[in-house]
Amino acid sequence: MECPVPDCKQRQPNELGRKLKRARPWVQTGFLGVWLAPVGQWLHGFPSCVFHCYSCPLSSFACPIGIAANYAALIPVTLEIPYLLLGVLLLVGAASGSLACGWACPFGFVQDLLGKIPIRKVALPAWVGYTRYAVLLGLVILLPLILGFKGIPYGDQVISICRLCPAGALEAGLPASAQSVMAGHGWPMSWLKTLILVAFVGSALFIHRPWCRIFCPLGGLLALFNRISLFHLRFNPKECVECNLCRSRCPMGVNVDQKVNVSGCIRCLECSTCGALEPCFAVPKESSKPALPK
Amino acid sequence: MQRVPQPPVNPALRDLERHDFWPGFIAALIGIILTFCGVRHLTAVDTVDGGNAWETQLIKAFTFDGMQYASKVTSPPPPRGDNPEALERWARQNREAEAPNWKVRVDTAAKTPCPT
Repeated sequence: MECPVPDCKQRQPNELGRKLKRARPWVQTGFLGVWLAPVGQWLHGFPSCVFHCYSCPLSSFACPIGIAANYAALIPVTLEIPYLLLGVLLLVGAASGSLACGWACPFGFVQDLLGKIPIRKVALPAWVGYTRYAVLLGLVILLPLILGFKGIPYGDQVISICRLCPAGALEAGLPASAQSVMAGHGWPMSWLKTLILVAFVGSALFIHRPWCRIFCPLGGLLALFNRISLFHLRFNPKECVECNLCRSRCPMGVNVDQKVNVSGCIRCLECSTCGALEPCFAVPKESSKPALPK
Repeated sequence: MQRVPQPPVNPALRDLERHDFWPGFIAALIGIILTFCGVRHLTAVDTVDGGNAWETQLIKAFTFDGMQYASKVTSPPPPRGDNPEALERWARQNREAEAPNWKVRVDTAAKTPCPT
């Protein structure tokens, strides 16, 4: 397909977009210092807002999805309302939507790095994003709720989502297995989890952020807030020259030329390179206020 | 910069997606209130040491495999060997052992590094 804009190839990203693009990997690296605290596990009683396994030897916070599954498994015995979990997710979601996915999530960062390997990426249809809600409802809530603490009868596993989670395999299973192999005790990670890890790494080479786009229940949940979150993206029609740079820059395949605050967006802000889309904060008056100076 | 040719756009037809301040603000406010409630929330789940577990202790128990379910508590294995006395003592102890009066409790001292 030929681009309809005559000077499309000559059009350069605006200054704010360039700055954001340069800053994002560094911000993601900086957040690793928060999630992978050197002292490790000192805030395990508190849920984080990103997808990061609490079995990781250096994890400082608890995984919100693991907590949700554990609460669901507790329901047949006693009903407890997860105030902390709901509060953290509501606060982060309402304040910034899925901004944490694009700028803070360590598992997303790993996928971003794998995606930088220059292999032609496969485009996914937009509807695959809905499977995240099936994972959230099925694996995180219903399965532990029905099976209770027993979980799927497979080895010593109790919580279904944790057993299938590639973040657990990468951040907890892989270091533990490497340590075991070095000590001469063999490979302790189950073949299923090893297979999931291999499939995840393989797919991340050919699909940009496959876990986030197809399976991540946390990303799906946070993305529901994109329509109402205080931080959001605003389209400025005066700046639009119909170059479609915004859409061609979107790694998540969102049709940002039509609508940008949608559930498929991870708020990486790559689309803001065109200048017509700008990150903003909602203010009590009619219009939004730009979040960053141009 | 990598560019992928795209279909034409019409900014006049584009959804402006007006963002109202209040839904996001109210949701964030509820989030803050819930977070504060959660930090001070004493759950109905008992701890091994007695008393109820704080919500933070409950979450910590999830992450360190500190949840103990009564239905998961198993009797000790039978004694090895052909000692009939030991076998009879084990059978008597099993008969006399009362079912725990709790369904689930939290071991706040649990430190299993990888519960999954």
